[in-house]
Amino acid sequence: MSITINIWINEERYEKLQKAGLANMAEEALAGLKVIKVPCTEEQKDKVLKVFPTAKYDSATTKSIELLPREVKDKIFDLVVEKQSIDVMDDFLKNY
Amino acid sequence: MTYIGHGGKEIVERVLEPEKAAEAIKGLTPVPIRGQIAREIIDIAYGFFTPLEGFMTRADVEGVCNEMKLANGVLWPIPIVFDISTEEINEKGIKEGDKLLLTYQDKPMAILEVEEIFTYDKQEMAQKVYGTTEDKHPGVARTYNYKDKFIGGKITLVNPPKINPPFDEFFFTPKQLRQKFAEKGWQRIVAHQTRNVPHTGHEWLMKGAWLSTHGELPVEKTLTGVLVNAIIGEKRKGDYIDEAIVLCHDVLRKAGYFREDVHLTSITLWDMRYAGPKEAVFHAILRSNLGLTHHMFGRDHAGVGTYYDPYDAHRIFDQIPEGALNIKPIRVLAWWYCPICGEVTYSGLCGHKEHSQNFSGTLIRSIIQDGVKPPRLIFRPEVFDLIMECAEKYGFGSAFVTDKYLKERNPVFSLPDMKY
Ligand SMILES: [Zn+2]
Repeated sequence: MSITINIWINEERYEKLQKAGLANMAEEALAGLKVIKVPCTEEQKDKVLKVFPTAKYDSATTKSIELLPREVKDKIFDLVVEKQSIDVMDDFLKNY
Repeated sequence: MTYIGHGGKEIVERVLEPEKAAEAIKGLTPVPIRGQIAREIIDIAYGFFTPLEGFMTRADVEGVCNEMKLANGVLWPIPIVFDISTEEINEKGIKEGDKLLLTYQDKPMAILEVEEIFTYDKQEMAQKVYGTTEDKHPGVARTYNYKDKFIGGKITLVNPPKINPPFDEFFFTPKQLRQKFAEKGWQRIVAHQTRNVPHTGHEWLMKGAWLSTHGELPVEKTLTGVLVNAIIGEKRKGDYIDEAIVLCHDVLRKAGYFREDVHLTSITLWDMRYAGPKEAVFHAILRSNLGLTHHMFGRDHAGVGTYYDPYDAHRIFDQIPEGALNIKPIRVLAWWYCPICGEVTYSGLCGHKEHSQNFSGTLIRSIIQDGVKPPRLIFRPEVFDLIMECAEKYGFGSAFVTDKYLKERNPVFSLPDMKY
């Protein structure tokens, strides 16, 4: 299982994805809430954890990076829409 | 109105009148206490822990550890002890027969009658109560952190605490709560134990438990109620903040997801031991003292890590002798979301297990962390908005406990100034 950052997609975000033609990127998570799993390499993960000290990597269960600041996740979502791709972590980390 | 609590013992409030209290504490040796002990004093003094009148003696602890019974034979699963160091005992010259003035927040709080000073093997206590001696278990760690001696003896509250907002409207003593139930005309009341903000999975757990509890009773009048009883105690980083837990449960009724006449929110002061099945029995005792008739137990009640099987806390009630406990367990499985049924449904009824979507704690926390408003099938919008509001108002921007919250939060209760 690869390392991911989970971006939650509610109705509002789903509309944005649809407009960008990206609706199929979102997977069903729970009761209509969807998720985009933005992939991270080992190196990207390490950098994320270094840059955002509150973040934790859940190696045991979900293999996801949790507890990232809300604004960071918002930014990653915006990047996904802008780049029309989920492979955005290199771009995202450039600024840090 | 009768106030008979656990073990068939009358609920007695051990609280002195203010004039008598000032007189009674004159000249007593002051002993400062920590939060856990202060909370347990309140519990003992108002009868939450009936039939306990104070901290346990050695015979009680021995009985609890070995047979899950107090020295008087009443069912009891978790030691309630007052720990103190040998140095402090020597320094203050404390001996059996003394009375001590326990102080908290630099104010007088209670009198402790020193009936017995004793030691107890903490590893043995841990093994017997928690089934493990590993200090990774938070209950075991708490046991190991006890100082080297214990004092057993009665407690009398001399300075009743003032419960601070927003908790004040949710704190009821066992007697007050029983009066409240009588006013509402409830004949049966089912407890929902919580340390969470409620998603719809919790809401349905409560609704399902209400239906089970109501059973064969007539339906024209509301004879059955749900009592949300939030456990308020020592917080750990990452827990939900207390204010969000209590207020969000209450908003379920205010916003009409529960009728006004079937639901009540309340708090009990208690530091979770995570003793799984033993703690389930303890919670049942506590709620029977509050006047409840039924107690819902879900998956892995009061468990931690993989120390207990998820249904150990259900099975333990099969071993409790008839009449030892005056409250019935309502044993339930989880509710999940089923995309085929198109609703949140009971896992014991829905036949689409392979399609089911669980309310995983990690997922729910992640949604809240990100502030992404989920569909109303996961969180009622009023609840989710209130979580966000509580984060701003009480949590320094977070719905979860942070270092800042631990340091700077408003205390749940304060002790008033007292002249003596
Ligand atoms: Zn189904």
